[in-house]
Amino acid sequence: MSTLAPAVSEQLVAPWVEWARRYTRGRRLLEAGTYALTEGAIAAGCRVFAGYPITPATDIAEYMSKRLPQVGGYYVQCEDELAGMHACAGASLGGLKAMTATSGPGYTLMHDAYGWSITNEIPLVVVDAMRVGPISGITGAPGQGEFYIARYASHGGNFETIVLSPSSVQEAFWLTIDAFNLAERFRTPVTILTDQVISDMWEDLFIPEDYDALDFVVPRKNNLMMPFYPVGSADLDVPPNVIGHGTGVCVSAYTHTEEGYDIEEMEAQWAQTYRLINKIRHHRDQLTRYETVGVEDADVIAVAYGANARTVKTGVLEARRRGVRAGFVRLITLWPFPDELFERDVPYVVCELNYDGQLVREVMRSAPDGKKVRFMGKSAELHTVAEVAAGLEGVARTGRIPELPYIWTEVR
Amino acid sequence: MNRLAKKYLRPSQIPTKACHGCGIGMIENWLLQAIDEMGLKQDDVIFGTGIGCVGRQTFATWGGDNFGATHGRALAVATGLKLAQPDKKYLIVVGDGDAASIGTSHLIHAARRNLGVTVICEDNMGYESTGGQFSPTTPAGYVTNSSPYGMVEPGFDPCDVVKAAGATFVAETTATQWHQTVKIVKKALANDGFSFVHVRFPCNENFGAYALGTRDTLKNLEWIYEHTQGRKADGTDADFTWETGIKHDASNSRPEFSRLMRDMNARVKADMKAKQK
Amino acid sequence: MTAAAKPRTEILISGFGGQGVIRMGQILGLAAIKQGHRVTMLKSHGTETRGGYVRAQLVISPDYVDSPVVENADVFVAFSAPAYKKFFDHCRGKILYDPEMVEDVRAEGPERHVAVPATQLAKERFNNVLFANMIMLGALTRLSGLDYEAMKKAMLEVIPRFHEQNLAALDVGYTLPALIPA
Repeated sequence: MSTLAPAVSEQLVAPWVEWARRYTRGRRLLEAGTYALTEGAIAAGCRVFAGYPITPATDIAEYMSKRLPQVGGYYVQCEDELAGMHACAGASLGGLKAMTATSGPGYTLMHDAYGWSITNEIPLVVVDAMRVGPISGITGAPGQGEFYIARYASHGGNFETIVLSPSSVQEAFWLTIDAFNLAERFRTPVTILTDQVISDMWEDLFIPEDYDALDFVVPRKNNLMMPFYPVGSADLDVPPNVIGHGTGVCVSAYTHTEEGYDIEEMEAQWAQTYRLINKIRHHRDQLTRYETVGVEDADVIAVAYGANARTVKTGVLEARRRGVRAGFVRLITLWPFPDELFERDVPYVVCELNYDGQLVREVMRSAPDGKKVRFMGKSAELHTVAEVAAGLEGVARTGRIPELPYIWTEVR
Repeated sequence: MNRLAKKYLRPSQIPTKACHGCGIGMIENWLLQAIDEMGLKQDDVIFGTGIGCVGRQTFATWGGDNFGATHGRALAVATGLKLAQPDKKYLIVVGDGDAASIGTSHLIHAARRNLGVTVICEDNMGYESTGGQFSPTTPAGYVTNSSPYGMVEPGFDPCDVVKAAGATFVAETTATQWHQTVKIVKKALANDGFSFVHVRFPCNENFGAYALGTRDTLKNLEWIYEHTQGRKADGTDADFTWETGIKHDASNSRPEFSRLMRDMNARVKADMKAKQK
Repeated sequence: MTAAAKPRTEILISGFGGQGVIRMGQILGLAAIKQGHRVTMLKSHGTETRGGYVRAQLVISPDYVDSPVVENADVFVAFSAPAYKKFFDHCRGKILYDPEMVEDVRAEGPERHVAVPATQLAKERFNNVLFANMIMLGALTRLSGLDYEAMKKAMLEVIPRFHEQNLAALDVGYTLPALIPA
């Protein structure tokens, strides 16, 4: 038994807080994150999975190959990830909710399809179970190297992306349904940026008994009339376009008019960009999900997401036990970046699973004083509670993170 | 605008942005003729394209539903779309870059799955929208802007590739063979499975100008015609011959991809019901 | 909501691939869930399954488990010599080891070491070393005061075949005379 911290305020802001309260009949299992991601997708109405197996997302493909036929859906094992995400986009255009799952090496191969889905406003969910890199790296070890890649998931600029990250098996289940809902409402691909630990970890998991009874699932609707692309508008809840209903919709890779015709005019580029960026920026209040612990009175605040947030949170509580007024911010919505969570002018200690420093740069940008933002980078293994507690104690008492093996603090 | 264009195309999107004398518009007319003779309506056909001359010129001309995929991925998109909309006919009109180079893996695997689409590979023997570079279907020795000393790489015949991969209908034709092309496209559309029709056509601005030394449409068409005959106008042998016509016809001989998937689902559902009892 | 004291029990199981280390963890975890606990289990995989060690890290708590990492195990089950060496320092509680696999135990903390001859007993009683993990799980159940009935139920759910032998193996471990307090 560990000795633990005294009571401290704790807040989780996410739609599934209410969902979990309302739906309590179901099964309690010991299952992996990949299982939860799969079941969350099925519960959300996903009926097509197209992808290419890759560690540590392979189990999602295997679970999908079993589950989808049971619910009248389709599992397509594609020739590569390029085909995987394009096939998902095709299925979604045909009116079926779709998902693909991969890891970093496959995620970067999806960027054409990602951009195509963004510009054509195709709802989709992409799971990226991050492992340490670059490239293949260590296939069985966690990383957080795709924080920026997920933001800039395609070339050419002029778009915003939605990226969510779960930190438990249970949260992976609810968050996947949430991701599908956001994809439908915002008409855009949504990335679930998870990692090897969350996808491979087994944990207690509650699964509601009747997916059809989940009233919060946003059903697929079909846009049957013009405008197919409300360029120049930030409207939410525009039904997705559908191919095969004879609407005459046009879908392409080009800058388009509201009919979907390719056009090479500055004004059209402006109107399309307004649409793709502001449908997300103007509705950030509906996108931000996070968890905090003791931030109101904290002298130092640790920041993390995904699996890493698990040990970081325990580290924060350990620091509290040692008399340091430490706080904790766990991002669930990574993009659009929730600047408002970093309004307090205190030192932030950003813990992430890479040595180059990614999330830390956004915290530096949004915090009142970027110079007070510290970095604790680690790679291939979660931060230990001891490391986090030492880091927080160091910053609180001496203003700096002590030298620790395997921890990098430099941000260039 | 002719009768078929009026019936099937979008007035606002034609004439297309194709160069003078380009074969793309003409071949599209032949496709319309095949569609019309089969009694298909706008809503029966989903029109998909890729990137390059063929994608750019044909995208959004079709009066029904259209998609223009990223380069090479039209068949990947169609693989997902077919599952959601299995009862439609799919006309996937792409170039030699889409089919024979950047998207060949999707071509091969769509053929292997017997995906129910008709691919019209309109082949102008190079990458012409980027200014005339060679492609895997550029004939050996010919000069393009990226083979200034002649095309040294061996090419391949996309018909051989898809046939080996399992396509159930494979044919080759050219922009000089109107009636044959219409007949072939009708057969291709009648196959509930993967059909591939390879149609060579001239590009005056690039391939014609650099490889053949002329921007004259008729001269470029004549060059193609000579190679379907293996003999030049002056009676001498051509440097090679294209054997056009139906290369392989196993139409409706094996189940279409989305049908296989639906049949499996029916089996799974029946097994689940049996277990419940 | 408050993040108050959260008692947690950490269990580390490690051995070679094929000894059923993950299965043991799975049964243990499910049994705890059946009793209303929250459970996390990290399992190592990848190249380690090809000759190195396999590890299951379990944390069991009445409340949500924050860190799933076992840094100070309350119980460490060592099924191989490399695993014993590698993770000895991660444990501050009891160490259950299989003497046939772990021949040299450290001199320090003899009262923390419990020899469970699971492999030997599996060979003797079942003529099959595959049942060693269930014997070890039985011993762990007894030693940690876990609910034996819940463990049996979980085992039947997790393991698809050979239920009778597995139940018998569990019982061999659970009734080891050395573990029963006088």
